[in-house]
Amino acid sequence: MAKWWWKILGWPCFFYVLIGGLVTPLSPGLTGVVPTTAIAGETFAIKIMAYNTQFSEADKTYVWLKNQEGQYLKASNVQVKSNNELQGEFIVPIATSGQSFTIVVYNTLDGSAILPDGIYVSAAANVTPTRVDGAGFTDEPGVDLVKPEGIRFPYRSILNETIRNTFFHVALWMAMFSLYLVGLYHAILYLRTSRKDHDLWSEAYNKAGILFGILGIATGSLWARYTWGSWWTNDIKLNMATIAMFIYFGYVILRSSFTDEEKKARVSAVFSIFAFVALIPLVFVIPRLTDSLHPGNGGNPALGGEDLDHTLRLFFTINHRLVSARLLACPTKIPAVKALRPRA
Amino acid sequence: MSCLAFFFHVLLQAQSPENDFLRSTGKIYSVVAGIVIVFAGLAIYLWRLDRKLTKLEKHINDEHETS
Repeated sequence: MAKWWWKILGWPCFFYVLIGGLVTPLSPGLTGVVPTTAIAGETFAIKIMAYNTQFSEADKTYVWLKNQEGQYLKASNVQVKSNNELQGEFIVPIATSGQSFTIVVYNTLDGSAILPDGIYVSAAANVTPTRVDGAGFTDEPGVDLVKPEGIRFPYRSILNETIRNTFFHVALWMAMFSLYLVGLYHAILYLRTSRKDHDLWSEAYNKAGILFGILGIATGSLWARYTWGSWWTNDIKLNMATIAMFIYFGYVILRSSFTDEEKKARVSAVFSIFAFVALIPLVFVIPRLTDSLHPGNGGNPALGGEDLDHTLRLFFTINHRLVSARLLACPTKIPAVKALRPRA
Repeated sequence: MSCLAFFFHVLLQAQSPENDFLRSTGKIYSVVAGIVIVFAGLAIYLWRLDRKLTKLEKHINDEHETS
């Protein structure tokens, strides 16, 4: 019992992440606006579509346009159509035309939600854009934007609810990496001691690592389909991870090609050291050097801001897979199974 | 500059959202599908592992009986 404490610990961790990660609501967000272009100097009405908002229940909902200098223009005549739809009217001064505006919506129930570059306001055809000063815009919204109580995951456009995949997809890769690490440890131990058990454990850990790698690619591909729009993109991290996967497939093929047990163990131990050494630059270094869609790669910030804020970290830091992954490494050769069996 | 802003704006709006089941309700079902993939993968792996171990246990037991 005391020896297998992590097996028991794995279950509460698993249910904590599964339930907490799926039940915690997403922050409200703005999904779209109609129309997406308008002309400065004249009154125009825009319809705003939102997700997870409670416009009908809230006392009063405010709408602003925010220009690129961070100034606010309050909407007049805000009409709530439903919980997720409202309409507001604006007159954008001609001086501030020729740019796109961020739409900001606030009420006390939902807090604030924004749609960056939601609407583009062009100058009227017959006027020059510098004629009138930026009247109507204020430096402050005029209403205190108070964050509502409770834990909510950040709303990000395109990602939407799939931000929860952070707990399931990323954890798989961390589990894969830690399994390969233990596989490496046993490979080194085999080379030092030449004990058959270390070879079998090394094989078991590496094979379980491959399973997590395959699942990581499968879930990542599905995630990419519904966010980036394609099952497979030419993202550097995808391709490098695939190369790393093939190196470990090579490990399995290499093992099956030896008939001499000792030679097999020795060569595959050396191979798994090289495979692990190749894995580090492929997965952690090269994707950081170029552009990548993955957070934390190629100037794409991760583990900060909205990508992994404190609400997500609440469930991400407890890495359920890391705790339970070791469960799946099981040698399937006779000497190791004999070693596993309780001695009478 | 404003040209660039307009171009960027059009680019953002150009991705018309397709409406299918996995995209409904904020794409939550694609998360569910991901979890199902992981569960199915682990279940198949464990089932195969169990079959292999059963075979080995049988092998060891037979060996024990004959010796």
